[in-house]
Amino acid sequence: MPFFYEEATTPQNRPLLRILARDEVTLADAEGLGARIEVGAPNHRWRILSIVEKGTEYSAGARKYFPSLQPKYGAIAVVVTSPIVRAAINMMMRLTGQAPNLRLFTTEAEGLAWLDELEI
Amino acid sequence: MSVTIEGERVDQLLRIIVAAATGDYELRVPLVEEDDDEFLEVELGVNYLLEELALGKAKSDSQRQQLEARAEELAHQQSELVQALSTPVIAVWPGVLALPLVGRVDDERAAQITAVLLERVAAERATHVIIDLTGVGTIAGTTMPALLRMVRAIGLLGAGCLLTGISPAVAQQIVALGAEGGAPVRALAQLSDALAHVLAQKGALRG
Repeated sequence: MPFFYEEATTPQNRPLLRILARDEVTLADAEGLGARIEVGAPNHRWRILSIVEKGTEYSAGARKYFPSLQPKYGAIAVVVTSPIVRAAINMMMRLTGQAPNLRLFTTEAEGLAWLDELEI
Repeated sequence: MSVTIEGERVDQLLRIIVAAATGDYELRVPLVEEDDDEFLEVELGVNYLLEELALGKAKSDSQRQQLEARAEELAHQQSELVQALSTPVIAVWPGVLALPLVGRVDDERAAQITAVLLERVAAERATHVIIDLTGVGTIAGTTMPALLRMVRAIGLLGAGCLLTGISPAVAQQIVALGAEGGAPVRALAQLSDALAHVLAQKGALRG
């Protein structure tokens, strides 16, 4: 299971979905996330903090699916320290085109601060 | 944007691109965490592209295999159908078999006809076999002796053989082979003539 979910709050007490990602993310895993943030689902349009571990990989199916999630989350701060994983997420962002509600960070604190600044 | 890249990374990437250009999509650019630059994204992008090409190739191979299997199945069905249609032996009356032949008769087909017909004659204890050649345009030169041997074999099984619908060309072939005297062949103009002849003979036998 490459995604571990936790419902939490931001420092300013806003609802937050924390996701820890590791290993290989398949299309089924990506769809699992999609189901949580679908219209009418509990985490729809929430702020998301995604911590992606070094060595995490995305299958071809997952890579193509992720861009379709863009309108379903409020904002997503991706915390990534691995240059390879960052390159992978950058590639997916290029597929999405403009994604103003998605940004990469190197620390959780930076990501949370950005999420709190946003008006959603 | 200006990026300084080690020559070895560029060479490696080019080797993999060249391999892909020849249809080998299995190689991947080795990614190193320490190579934290924009070129890393290019290398990863090439890996993603190779992955897509490999997936596309696997899908295409699978579809080709399915098509080949289907084509083989259809060819087999067609072959069975052609075989059934090429020797349409009909029991027109108890003990009377008719075989209307259509199309070209070559050695292979003659052998097939012989096998099927002799089996039916034996199985049904046929007394008469009518072979209608109305639809036969040509009989291959070497095939006519095979057909005439079949007629003799039918005779050996105790059945009489009648040929109908013989075209002038086929008649000349039979005469040229000198088979008329030796083989128990009776020729009639039409299939209906042969049937009337056989039924009359059967009625006479009963009477």
